[in-house]
Amino acid sequence: MASIKEIRTHIKSVEQTLKITNAMYLISSSNLRKARKQLTDVEPYFRKIEVTISDILHHSPEISHVFFDKRPGVQPADRKIGYIVITGDKGLAGAYNHNILKLAEQKMSQSAHTSLFVVGQVGRSYFQEHGIPIDVEFLYTAQDPNMARARDMAELMLDLYLEEQLDEVYIIFTRMVNTFQMEPTIHKLLPLDPDVFPEYEKNRDSYNRDVAYVPSVKAVMDRLVPGYVKGDIFGALVESYCSEQNSRMTAMKSSSDNARAMLQSLNLSYNRARQAAITQEITEVVGGAQAAF
Amino acid sequence: MAETSTFHLEIITPERQFYIGPAEALVLPAVDGQMGIYPGHEPVVTAIEPGELRYKADGKWEPAAVGAGFAEIKPDYVILLVGFAEHPEEIDRKRAEAARQRAEERLRQKQSIHEYYHSKAALARAMARLKTRR
Repeated sequence: MASIKEIRTHIKSVEQTLKITNAMYLISSSNLRKARKQLTDVEPYFRKIEVTISDILHHSPEISHVFFDKRPGVQPADRKIGYIVITGDKGLAGAYNHNILKLAEQKMSQSAHTSLFVVGQVGRSYFQEHGIPIDVEFLYTAQDPNMARARDMAELMLDLYLEEQLDEVYIIFTRMVNTFQMEPTIHKLLPLDPDVFPEYEKNRDSYNRDVAYVPSVKAVMDRLVPGYVKGDIFGALVESYCSEQNSRMTAMKSSSDNARAMLQSLNLSYNRARQAAITQEITEVVGGAQAAF
Repeated sequence: MAETSTFHLEIITPERQFYIGPAEALVLPAVDGQMGIYPGHEPVVTAIEPGELRYKADGKWEPAAVGAGFAEIKPDYVILLVGFAEHPEEIDRKRAEAARQRAEERLRQKQSIHEYYHSKAALARAMARLKTRR
C-alpha cells in the first residue's frame, strides 16, 4: 500500500488538474453559447446562398466563366490542389483536431501536388512536426471567426486560382451535425461545379425559364462567386469553432468527472492508510505497555 | 400591372435576417444604376453595389443601407444576399463619417492593389451608410 504522504501528493495533483479542467469546461461552455448564436445567425445566409447559387446554376446551364472552368486540359496527376484545413488553436478538445488532421492527410495522400493552408495552431505545429510543408504566410487563428478574416482568405484563394497556381480548392472543416455528433467534412470551393450543388428544391417555382443577368453574366458572376466563396469560408470557420468548443466542453466535462471519481477513491485509500497507521500505533503502544508490566 | 400586388422579399446578411415579408416595390442599387422592381418582374440575377435600398411595405417606403451582394429576382419573390443591411436609425453618422475620412486618407497613400480594393470597398460602405442616413 502506498504511503500516506504519497497518496496526499497524488490527491493534491489531481485536485490541481480538476481545477484546470473545470475552468476550461466553464470557459468553453460560455464560448459555445456565443458560437452557437453566431452559427444560428449565419446559417440562413449560408443555406440561402447555396440554394440561390444552385438555383441560378440549374437555370442557366450554358454559363462559361472562369470560376466554372474545370481546366480539363490539366492532367489529373498534375493538378495542383489546395486544401484549407481548419483546426483548433489549442488541444484538449477530445478527438476534434485528430479527426480533422486524419481526414486532411488521407485526402492529401491521393494527389501529388497539394498545397496546405492551415487555420489554427494545432494543425500548423502538427504539419511542421511531420515535415509537411504548409503555407507559412497563411496565419489565421481559429478563434472568434469574423467576416474580415473570411474575406482575406477568400481573396487569397481566388487569386491563387486565377493565377493558375491552384486548379482546385477544397476546405476541410468540422460540421456540427448536432451536439453529440461532429463530422469532419470536405467541401469543394473552386471551381464551382453545378453537380456538387444538390438541386435543393427542384423547381421551387414555376418559372422554368432561363434567368437574365443584368448587366451581364460576367459582371454578375464576378461579384457573386467571391461573395459565395467568402460566405462558404465564413460558414466553415463558424461551424468549426462551434464544434471545437463543443468537443472541448465534452472532453473537459468527462475529465472533470473522472478526476472527481479518482479523488473519491484516493480519499478512501488515504483514510484507510491513515486508519491503518493509527491502528498500528495503538497496537504498538498497547504491546509496549503489556511488555512493561 | 400584374395581378399580384405584392411579392415576397427576403433581405439576408451573414449577421441577421434583415427583412422577410411582403413588399409592393423595391429599388435596389445595381451595378449600373438603380433598379426598380414590381411584382411580376422577369427572372433576373443581378449584382448589388453598396448603396441605398428602398422597399415599399404596407404603402410606406422604407430606406436601408446595404453592402455588396447579389439579388435573385423572380416574378413572385426577391432574395437579396448582401454583406450588411441597416435601418437609417441604426447608422451612426459620426462613425460612418470617420470611416469615410479614414478610407479617403488611405486611398491617398501608396498601397498594394488589394489594399486599394479594400479601401475602395470601405469607402463605398461608408458612403452607402451616409447616403441612407442623410
